[in-house]
Amino acid sequence: MKTPHRTPDWLLERIALGELPPDELAAARARLAQEPDGAARLAALEEDNRLTLEQRPPALVAREVEARAARSERLDPLREKAHPWRPLMPALAFVPVLAVVFLMVRPGPRPPDAEPIAEVTRTKGLTPQLGLHRLGAAGPEPLADGARAAVHDVVQVSYVAAGNRYGAILSLDGRGAVTLHAPEDGLNAWALAPSGTHALSRAYELDDAPAFERFIFVASDSPFPLEGILVSARELAASNEARTAPLPLPAGFRQVSFTLEKNSP
Amino acid sequence: MSIDVEAYYRRYGPQVLRRCRFLLRDEEKAVDAMHDVFVQLLRHQDRLKNSAPSSLLHQIATRECLNRLRGARRRPEDREDELVLRIASSGDTEARTVARGLLSRLFGQVPASSRDIAVLHLVDGMTLEETAREVGLSVSGVRKRLRALSSVLQELEAA
Repeated sequence: MKTPHRTPDWLLERIALGELPPDELAAARARLAQEPDGAARLAALEEDNRLTLEQRPPALVAREVEARAARSERLDPLREKAHPWRPLMPALAFVPVLAVVFLMVRPGPRPPDAEPIAEVTRTKGLTPQLGLHRLGAAGPEPLADGARAAVHDVVQVSYVAAGNRYGAILSLDGRGAVTLHAPEDGLNAWALAPSGTHALSRAYELDDAPAFERFIFVASDSPFPLEGILVSARELAASNEARTAPLPLPAGFRQVSFTLEKNSP
Repeated sequence: MSIDVEAYYRRYGPQVLRRCRFLLRDEEKAVDAMHDVFVQLLRHQDRLKNSAPSSLLHQIATRECLNRLRGARRRPEDREDELVLRIASSGDTEARTVARGLLSRLFGQVPASSRDIAVLHLVDGMTLEETAREVGLSVSGVRKRLRALSSVLQELEAA
């Protein structure tokens, strides 16, 4: 942590840009002026601005940004211009298409040569399900557990609660990272729709983590805090069995796993 | 609000690049991340409010870099670097997707992730009040978010 007496870098940036309320800006400038190297730091920052713009000219950067944005637009499942009434939730545009697909196609079987699926803890015989679809050029493509996937693939996750009332969907990747996909916020499990197939509100673009991306749906009849689940997931993700072992959970939980095998970048 | 990328970069690009350099410690990765920060601005320009661009860009750059550092296996170069790496790889109950992060920030649904808040407070040295103002939360909201990362904070305090 920085010493409290020295103007922090973020404040120095605001001083240079003049983007503070007038009284705060005056106070920040006065504070900087009292520091032995305050004026030199500001001058160095302004010189760095000049050099950055000289080395990376605005016209070139703007062209690169616009090209990336155009590429990203092609990957984005939301066509915002086509759906101006619902611009805030990118993957929702994808959901109606999937809803039709899900009525006809359930998650496919595992390939015969795939590794055994993680053990499922059952308490009542009802098994929750996970489904994944990939956004392809011709529309959503159902994926089978163990399917190949690549960085930048856009995937939509769906679930079947099979009567379970609370749940969480997370993923582990080949880099040992854990990501919580549902619920989107909060500290506790998510109230599930008890029956039918339901897509998450957003699709996900796969990152460059190697080897695999494994989605796990944890379900229970009772509410549960997420913290314990996440701790367990992080321990599993850091282990050598992250790809196949069941998530260690107390009794009363059910889990189902769906693994995408990643192509080498 | 329509964004002139070139004009925005001319004014804010160096600040964003310095932020990315500071967090990523790699010039090539920092330049790549800086481009993506502006891509986010461009993609969501229709819904952007020009209230505090430098503050917003600082946060978007922070989140972009934390997402890139997630799972990083590089060796920390100094204590601040170590803090950033720990925070970046820590758990957070919010999604890591950039689009979601930006939308959340723009529309105030989830003003900032706990990881962003931890970096602003612990690494950038902002007070709780400054952090709260930066991310659009109350001070108690910031405290609550920091508590959500309590295991990380305990490690940080013990370090």
